Amino acid sequence: MTALAGKAAIVTGGGRGIGRAVTEALRAAGADLTICGRGARPEDLPAEILWVQGDVSRADDAARICAEARAEFGPVSILVNNAGIQIEKTVTETTDDDWDRLIGANCRGVFNMCRAFIPQVPETGGSIVNLGSVSGEVADPSMAIYNASKGFVHALTRSIAVDHGPRIRCNAVRPGWIMTDMAEAGFALAHDPERARADAIARHPAGRLGAPQDVAGAILWLVSDAAGFVTGQSFTIDGGLTSASPLQPRLF
Amino acid sequence: MLQGRVALVTGGRGGIGRAICARFLHEGATVYAADLSDHGSMEAGAGDAGRFIRMDVTSEAEIRAAMETVAGDSGRLDILVNAAGIELEHTIEHTSLDDWNRIFAINVTGTFLAAKHALPLLRKASAGGSTASIINFGSYDGFIADPGLAAYCATKGAVHALTRAMACDHGPEGIRVNAICPGYVDTPMLRGFFSGAGSGAGGGTLGDVLDKVREVHPTRSCGTPEDVANLVNWLASDEARYASGQLWVLDGGLTAQVQQMKF
Repeated sequence: MTALAGKAAIVTGGGRGIGRAVTEALRAAGADLTICGRGARPEDLPAEILWVQGDVSRADDAARICAEARAEFGPVSILVNNAGIQIEKTVTETTDDDWDRLIGANCRGVFNMCRAFIPQVPETGGSIVNLGSVSGEVADPSMAIYNASKGFVHALTRSIAVDHGPRIRCNAVRPGWIMTDMAEAGFALAHDPERARADAIARHPAGRLGAPQDVAGAILWLVSDAAGFVTGQSFTIDGGLTSASPLQPRLF
Repeated sequence: MLQGRVALVTGGRGGIGRAICARFLHEGATVYAADLSDHGSMEAGAGDAGRFIRMDVTSEAEIRAAMETVAGDSGRLDILVNAAGIELEHTIEHTSLDDWNRIFAINVTGTFLAAKHALPLLRKASAGGSTASIINFGSYDGFIADPGLAAYCATKGAVHALTRAMACDHGPEGIRVNAICPGYVDTPMLRGFFSGAGSGAGGGTLGDVLDKVREVHPTRSCGTPEDVANLVNWLASDEARYASGQLWVLDGGLTAQVQQMKF
């Protein structure tokens, strides 16, 4: 596939999980990839992918990530804001430090990256995809400021589309249950992991849980010219989870 | 709050409709309870709030006749509540065209016809300085799906869209149009649902199932017909004079949350 040949892309948090699947999908489509994370370069990262160590919650780092990508590959026309963290707490349990870390990564990080990215986008146009969540629309319990941070992402997505079109298209994806190492760890903690998994699957009209590649496929489409008239939208990718009522008597 | 107002409630002898009629009466309104029979889905003698008018919402002739009665006796109509409705527990594959047409005839066409023939009377009320109001019954099922309720979900989505359209068309005439979208309200219809296809996979008594239903709600409760009547009363009153074209979800917080997995 060469849909993105000659285009440079940045994927934040691209080293693992959903971000890694996005990185691989964009690379397979011919894009030149720059990815970033707070830690060291992942050992299994292909050599042609540029790794920038940096923390998107810091404006200086965000500017440096964009600058290094541009120095390596020329003007960058694709940004995927994937980096984010979860903290499992209610409002009253949340500390100031929790707030700074989560809002720093999930809100300020997205803002920092967009602010650094937009001015350098070439005249031919560019595309941003932000990672929202179904939790930004309906609440997961004990995830208060995470849920709120994703609501921020959905609203910022619309604002950027309105303010910076037509040069920039900006969309979001809202994943539901995607099986990453983080989600697997959740099942491992259940009283009966197999029963918990069966219950979770039964709540998905798609009959399975999501894979990182499910999200990557949607993002690949959104950044391609095939989605040239699509901007300001947030797409739910949840196997039908939130199309069904939260109350399922058949699963009592 | 509704002193001197004239209200007609379709499905006025059903679980929710009856509570609305009782509340309107308590607030001082003249109430017409339109339904198929004087006791509806309630036991005979369970209560008779408001004046009963025989009206099948699938019959345009009966709706015309009911409005003529209201016109003759009260001269105007301030409030129309379209509470008549049925459910149908099937996927589309097992829904016959007759069943499909019947649920649409009651839930959607009934709402359309009652509103259409109430409009001249509602205009009289709004011309008299009152804010006239139509309150339709949508459902949270118009936003998200319950399994095996396809036609019902579709009718409620249609009511939601009709509500916004009517609000746009008739707002300039001083007629407000809103919809209430209830979740689980403890009515004969809900208890019937849990006695049938909607009962839990684990079996158990109706009481057990209702306990589990309550547990899923952030409020840990089902709604009561009186809860719905409270919101209808507000929407019908002058306190809601700036509220129109909206879909008011009343569900104890149920649909604010993602499905909760069992861990």
